[in-house]
Amino acid sequence: MSRSVWKGPFVDSYVLKKAEASRESGRNEVIKIWSRRSTILPQFVGLTFGVYNGRKHIPVNVSEDMIGQKFGEYSPTRTYYGHAADKKAKRK
Amino acid sequence: MNDRICVGAIAGSFGVRGEVRLKSFCADPEAIASYGPLSDEKGETSWEVKLSRPVKTGFAAKLSGVANKEAADALKGTRLYAPRERLPDLPDDEFYHTDLIGLLVYDTGGVEVGRVKAVLNHGAGDLLEITAKGHSEPVLLPFTLATVPTVDMGTSRIVIDPPDGLFD
Repeated sequence: MSRSVWKGPFVDSYVLKKAEASRESGRNEVIKIWSRRSTILPQFVGLTFGVYNGRKHIPVNVSEDMIGQKFGEYSPTRTYYGHAADKKAKRK
Repeated sequence: MNDRICVGAIAGSFGVRGEVRLKSFCADPEAIASYGPLSDEKGETSWEVKLSRPVKTGFAAKLSGVANKEAADALKGTRLYAPRERLPDLPDDEFYHTDLIGLLVYDTGGVEVGRVKAVLNHGAGDLLEITAKGHSEPVLLPFTLATVPTVDMGTSRIVIDPPDGLFD
């Protein structure tokens, strides 16, 4: 059963506070969070969060198309490298 | 930069007509056939690859010079390598993982920080995994223009401007 709309998206309050503080300071920093369950909100776009995966903080650059997802979706808890082969990385 | 790149492996024979079960490591799995001829790890033997059809866990493929099931069985576990120059050129700001891995990492002050160990992508953009000096664990750095302003393939080095607290 999905979450009732009237409640609004769930975000841990400390995440909101940290994000707001980072935005006000204007510093280029990784905001360390442990809340994988928090929803990504529009005001997080452009910020970089370090989302804990149980072992370390994975940097997550928030972009517009990530709004509405949970932070935990971008911080996998299992390690898999795979093969480099012809895979490409793009600098944005 | 590696001269040869591992693009796939032979998982065993497929059927009784000398076909092999081929596992592709490429971003587009079918692209493995276009990088042929593929060679083994030592570069002593090479084969032209013709994909027959997709099968469970890979492709059924015909290799040149492999005529029967016994010959196909003998190749089980062989990794297939393609020459680096077979990969198509990329636009600016796009790089092959294999080219980035192993590059030396310097900070904006010219101090060597470490070396690129791997390139990861968990859905929120590419990340460089850097084996940093003085750190027991590798450090993850977003691969963006702001954090990695310079990638110099000529001198095999990248210059990084990491966010505060990343290398603490």
